[in-house]
Amino acid sequence: MTLKRFFAFCLFLMCQIILGQNDSITSLKEVLISDKNLKKYSASQSVLKLNDSIINKNEALLTDLLNFNSTLYFKEYGRGMLSTVSFRGTTSSQTAVIWNGININSQMNGSTDFNTISGSDYNSISVKAGGGSVIYGSGAVGGTVHLNNDLLFFNRFENNLRLDYGSFNTIGINYKTSISNKKWSTQIGFSKNSSTNDYKYLNRYTWRGEQRWNQNGQYDIITLSANAGYKFNENHILKLYTQTSNTDRNTSLITESETKSKYINGFNRNLLEYDGNFGKLKTNFKTAYIFENYQYFADNSTKYYTYGKTENLITKLDVDYNLFKSTHINGIVDYSRTNGYGSSFGSHIREISSASLLLRQDIGTNWKNELGVRKEFTSNYKSPVLFNLGSSYKFNDWYNLKLNVSRNFRIPTYNDLYWDEGGNPNLKPESSYQGEIGNVFTFKNFTWTQNFYYMKITDMLQWVPGANGIWTPQNQDKVNSYGTETLLSWKKSYGKNIFAANTTYAYTVSQDEKTKNQIFFVPFHKATGSVSYSRNKMSAYYQILYNGFVYTRADNNPDEIINDYTISNIGIDYDFKFLDSFKLGFQVLNLFNKDYESLENRPMPGRNFNMYLTLKF
Amino acid sequence: MKFSKLLLIALSISLFASCSSDDNDGPKGAYDNGFFILNEGSSDAGTVSFSSNDFTIFTKDAYKAENGADVLGKFVQNIFFEGDKAYIIAGGSNVISIVNRYTFKLIAKVDSGLANPRYGVVKDGKAYVTNANSYDSVTDDYIAVINLATNLVESKINLNTTGNRIIEESGKLYITDPMGSDKLSIYNINTKTLEDPITIGSGSDSIEEENGTLYILRPSYTQSSEIIKVKISDKSVSKIEIPESQGVAGYLDIENNQIYYTVGNSVYSINTAATTASISPMFTASSDIGYLYGFAVKDNRVYLSDGGNFKTDSKAYIYNLSGSLLKELTVGVGPNGFYFND
Repeated sequence: MTLKRFFAFCLFLMCQIILGQNDSITSLKEVLISDKNLKKYSASQSVLKLNDSIINKNEALLTDLLNFNSTLYFKEYGRGMLSTVSFRGTTSSQTAVIWNGININSQMNGSTDFNTISGSDYNSISVKAGGGSVIYGSGAVGGTVHLNNDLLFFNRFENNLRLDYGSFNTIGINYKTSISNKKWSTQIGFSKNSSTNDYKYLNRYTWRGEQRWNQNGQYDIITLSANAGYKFNENHILKLYTQTSNTDRNTSLITESETKSKYINGFNRNLLEYDGNFGKLKTNFKTAYIFENYQYFADNSTKYYTYGKTENLITKLDVDYNLFKSTHINGIVDYSRTNGYGSSFGSHIREISSASLLLRQDIGTNWKNELGVRKEFTSNYKSPVLFNLGSSYKFNDWYNLKLNVSRNFRIPTYNDLYWDEGGNPNLKPESSYQGEIGNVFTFKNFTWTQNFYYMKITDMLQWVPGANGIWTPQNQDKVNSYGTETLLSWKKSYGKNIFAANTTYAYTVSQDEKTKNQIFFVPFHKATGSVSYSRNKMSAYYQILYNGFVYTRADNNPDEIINDYTISNIGIDYDFKFLDSFKLGFQVLNLFNKDYESLENRPMPGRNFNMYLTLKF
Repeated sequence: MKFSKLLLIALSISLFASCSSDDNDGPKGAYDNGFFILNEGSSDAGTVSFSSNDFTIFTKDAYKAENGADVLGKFVQNIFFEGDKAYIIAGGSNVISIVNRYTFKLIAKVDSGLANPRYGVVKDGKAYVTNANSYDSVTDDYIAVINLATNLVESKINLNTTGNRIIEESGKLYITDPMGSDKLSIYNINTKTLEDPITIGSGSDSIEEENGTLYILRPSYTQSSEIIKVKISDKSVSKIEIPESQGVAGYLDIENNQIYYTVGNSVYSINTAATTASISPMFTASSDIGYLYGFAVKDNRVYLSDGGNFKTDSKAYIYNLSGSLLKELTVGVGPNGFYFND
């Protein structure tokens, strides 16, 4: 489908459902989020928040949620396999994933695999476009993805259970219990998502004429979470977040005769946080221990494997001082020590300290300004001074203008520095300058966000073959990215009928400065759309995703592309109103049975089905 | 080089090719009278390019052109021929695709019994293919014996060391070992036994046979690279040292009693009877070649390929013996070898 047709289609859908109006009522309760700076220092940038009602409409793994609901582009090595992101035309290690305020991108390869994360383990997932290295550190270049667990302090005992069963023996078990009163709040969660993932490849046959299918694609992801908060009083709060996960995944084959391999990875994250309020002075102290490991079995019939592990200890002190009425200053010092060891990079300790200063000022209620500076101190690499400068001005009820300029970076990983052979200990971080203009128009039930950005990235790390055939990373390329993002959101209710529609569209040009070629695996166009309708106990929704073509090669060889594709899902659920809520739902994924892939020779499944049951009690 | 001169050379070559061809039946298919360039690929499957000897016909992806969506597999490593058939080894996919060497149409695949296959030879209706097996072990390598009538692996010969390049001579297989040991493995096909290996030094790679002598190139990054000569009759070993100052040797080929070998981007030549290395190269190839990755000499032409960046299409270069560039071809990703089909 061409883009024009896509928009016409969205418009058509929206016209169909513009009906009367009735503001929905949102109840306000005190919510404590860990990632406070996401709220405090994002006035001049665009943040897309996906709450649990959206999370629940998508497949369990995070790739699917973000693919259908944001401008992020994903490259998947088959369904459920390794999934890497590109945000605003950047690389997979230039999007930082932030768990309750802590950067959790792998210390080993710099990126996050979005198919190892289950969306339902979090209360909300936010996507913040643009630079954020001053607050979030390495990798916050294209943008950041925030996984947040919220702690609520009121009397409740609530259980949520969701069971999924779908095609290819896809099984999901997600359970969450929240127990809280005015002093205590706990949340314990368990999720398990697995699939034999043996789907047929549409229209593909072996040389013997047999139907090809996804072999060795099974996965099993288990995550346990426990979060607790204790209020000593209104001014002193202690919080603990922990999460342990294990992903046991085989790797699907390109040809049937390949050696079957397996990749097991896991993490353990612990975060202890103290909030103290001393009038004009507020402190937030965080200490976190993050363990990450992988084992790769090149042949899963043998016991041989390669491995890597990192242990990362982070301590962070954030002091917020209210200078005068409308001006706050934050001083943040942090220290991070990583101990990494693996079969391919030996054993190395990395210590990084940093100091940052943030300033925010509200002039009246309509004008907000932000300023931030950060400098890292480490013996591992030369670190640039990072900064962030932003302003948001509300001209009137319906128009808000946002400006932001920032300098961000991505530090070399353990693999880059220490890989044996080829690691290069003399690397500089990749660094970027970025400017953006955001426009937010709000009319009654309708919000339109239009962002424009320009980004210049230098010292891009590239692994290149050296003189003696050993690959080694070099700081070499420069990339210029620019583009625009459109986010539209609309919600209306008419009597008992509630309608909502959301669309996103990204136009992305990401060019190698020297060759002027589009960076490979960055689509010029990506669009998503969703409409939902609910009435009483019933709700129905439809999602559509358009991914423009991508080059697979740096030279933009026109013969080497992944074709564009449009896929859609439809779902319906009904609440039997047994217990607090007893919903039975049914989804058809890839409704039109589209034969597509996001990486060459990695076909995705055709039309498939999912059934779910959600219980609240 | 001037364009007119290039044309003249191309013309003379095509004349020469058509005169010397005593094949009265004409070409047996679109891929006759030319050469294949093997492109190993990287994250995606490998491909095979074809050029006619006179360069008038070029097909970048011959397998796709003839067989559509089917792929050769990952890391295309080697082609060997038998009769009208070409056997294409894709090491990363444990598969050998068997095609008609003149039409390139798929006939069958050998798709079981292989584990990281590397190189193959044929003797008396059987193919002998080295298998690196697990890269975590240097002692689990084996030779898969493939019955070419059934295209099935019928037995395995354990090498107990690394096995890589392989040649067959007078009923014996000679296998070089690039990493496991300093030995040359020998297998006697008739007695089905491994003979005592010959110590030749570690890191041995290219191997060729001419008039009862094996010529083996032993590149070294830490000392002088060497050309090892092994006299088959008495297993005596002699060495030709390549001055370390010239650089690290790459590949070796033998044509008309001349040993051709590469050091960096330079091509050297000595007589097979020589006992010392050449002090100056025949010529130095284009500096555009960042990483010389394939090499062959045939009918007074030198074929060189650039591994490139292994992400985009790379190039093959064909020179005459005096170092004039005859042709530059844009081939696939990671071109690693040339195979002649006439």
